[in-house]
Amino acid sequence: MGIKGNLRVARVRSWPCVLLVACLGHSVPAAADTEADQIAELRKELEQSMQMIRELSQKVHDLEARAAQQSTTPATTPGSTPAAPAAAQVPAAPASPAPAAPAPAVAAGAPPAAPATAEASRLTQLEQTIAQMAANAWQRAEDTGMPMHGFADVGVGTHNAEFPNYRGADIAELDFFLTPRLGARTRALFELNFEVGSDGTVGVDLERAQIGYQFSDSATIWVGRFHTPYGFYNTAFHHGQWIAIGLRRPRFIEFEDHGGIMPAHTVGLWLTGSERLGDMKVTYDAYVGNSQRIFNGILDMNNAGVSRGSAIVGGNLGLLPGGVLDGLKVGVDAFQTRIEDQDPTPTAFPQVSPYFTRVKSYGAYAVYDTDRWEDIAELHFFDNTDLTGNTGSHHSDAGFIQMGYRGGRYTPYARYERGSFQQSDPYFAAQINGNSYNREALGVRFDIDLSSALKMEFAKTSFTDRIIRTYGEALVQYAIRF
Amino acid sequence: MRLGDLPASWRDDLGRAFDLHAMQGRAVVLTMAYATCHRVCPVTIRDLQQLQQDFDRRGLRAEFIVVGYDPDADDPAAWHQYRRTRHLTRENWHFLVGTPADVQRIARQLGFEFWKMDEHVIHDSRIVRFDEHGTLIATDAAAGLRFTLR
Repeated sequence: MGIKGNLRVARVRSWPCVLLVACLGHSVPAAADTEADQIAELRKELEQSMQMIRELSQKVHDLEARAAQQSTTPATTPGSTPAAPAAAQVPAAPASPAPAAPAPAVAAGAPPAAPATAEASRLTQLEQTIAQMAANAWQRAEDTGMPMHGFADVGVGTHNAEFPNYRGADIAELDFFLTPRLGARTRALFELNFEVGSDGTVGVDLERAQIGYQFSDSATIWVGRFHTPYGFYNTAFHHGQWIAIGLRRPRFIEFEDHGGIMPAHTVGLWLTGSERLGDMKVTYDAYVGNSQRIFNGILDMNNAGVSRGSAIVGGNLGLLPGGVLDGLKVGVDAFQTRIEDQDPTPTAFPQVSPYFTRVKSYGAYAVYDTDRWEDIAELHFFDNTDLTGNTGSHHSDAGFIQMGYRGGRYTPYARYERGSFQQSDPYFAAQINGNSYNREALGVRFDIDLSSALKMEFAKTSFTDRIIRTYGEALVQYAIRF
Repeated sequence: MRLGDLPASWRDDLGRAFDLHAMQGRAVVLTMAYATCHRVCPVTIRDLQQLQQDFDRRGLRAEFIVVGYDPDADDPAAWHQYRRTRHLTRENWHFLVGTPADVQRIARQLGFEFWKMDEHVIHDSRIVRFDEHGTLIATDAAAGLRFTLR
């Protein structure tokens, strides 16, 4: 560290004394009549304290150097000092460097070189106390802030990745994460997203607002608005696209205001956790919340509560086998809810208002996530019942498979997705994006550095019922995190 | 910054108590990671392996310390599995689990910036080295840059 380093240390160590003196300053006797006198008095005391600290630091340094000399092994490079900057100056270990050679000092409790005298011991103790005071003061200062991080992405393409009726350049989203530091067990997460909507204007959405209590490593309960834990993708990847390999979510699990046909957000209560069983790990989620509604052709999660709906209830059970299957996760999930369609009834349907649909969804997923591969497959089935009795029961399904290969800064990927939604089901018929489709995509993610990525994707999307249409896309996205 | 200024009490991947201060007297190479990181941490670990080879070539010994960012997710069993599957089983490599407060503290002391987003830990790549006197002698904040050059 050298002289500069020691001065820096001395300065750091002097802060607690400065604070101490400043605090004591409030009780300085009335001998100093004016404020200027008090300041002069404090300055004098401060200079004396700093001088004392410099002297103590010098003594500690000298004693440590002396102690180090006494405990130096014969293998020590002559002339090596604490300021030695290069690995070549690190002394050879007394034992062989072979992997099998256990290090005696590795055992916990091996003492550092002991100071030679009682005075040195006292000084060392004093030094540690001052360092601890400085660390504590620093930590308290740090803890008063609330860290804010986030993601952003922009793009250009032959179509907008989310709203294909647009083309050209687009700003997609600016997503802020607010994670206030709270008590040891209280957790909070707020996600504030500025995003472009289907009308091309920028809107603000509180995507997640959840406050939780962590009972243990294996159980945390959240209250608020969270990502509904169905399947894998919806809770593994969030609004910031930087985190994902692909440049957009599969169409059917897009967020509601981007046309997703599944309730991506729930406002309610969520119990989640994991438990290790030997090499295996089991994850679980159970949740209950406001049922969603359909409004203006999209799902809405009823942030303020429900008026005539009911509840969504669901769960997710995952297994990570570990061992030779390290990186694999498989799971199943299910939820049930009752959705109210608050829009005018489609003309093709009996004119009943409002339509209520009981939505039952069952799903399964498998993920293989390693240093080389990120492969995800997810399948969902829907058994919906028209509760007005007009159209009966309906069965639909949707799924996707995505394979990505991490090859350094390049990650090529391929995705196939498909949704087969019965158009006689009022739940899908009422949603703007409730039409059946399939999409093939090939892309590559290019990591410019650790906080920004460029993604390029070619995709072909075919609508197969409500509208028969196929279109191709060439998309580029620049995604960052901060 | 000295090794003795860092939090002392940790657990290793076998759940045993580990005194970081007991490493004084040896060269120490330290980084932070999380077990399910597949983008940045593998590169950092490869850098550590490269450093290990350099030490071996010179006939020197160092202790390699990997401190877990996320003690909630990465318990000793997770790190033990990580070591086995990646063949990082040399006895001078130590994968440490600490309390959230100690993890925050060591990260701040050594300049490891990170934040948690659900199951993800968003972080940079950084490697620091202490000499046998416990003095911080080198900080490699460019490990992330190498990531972009491969």
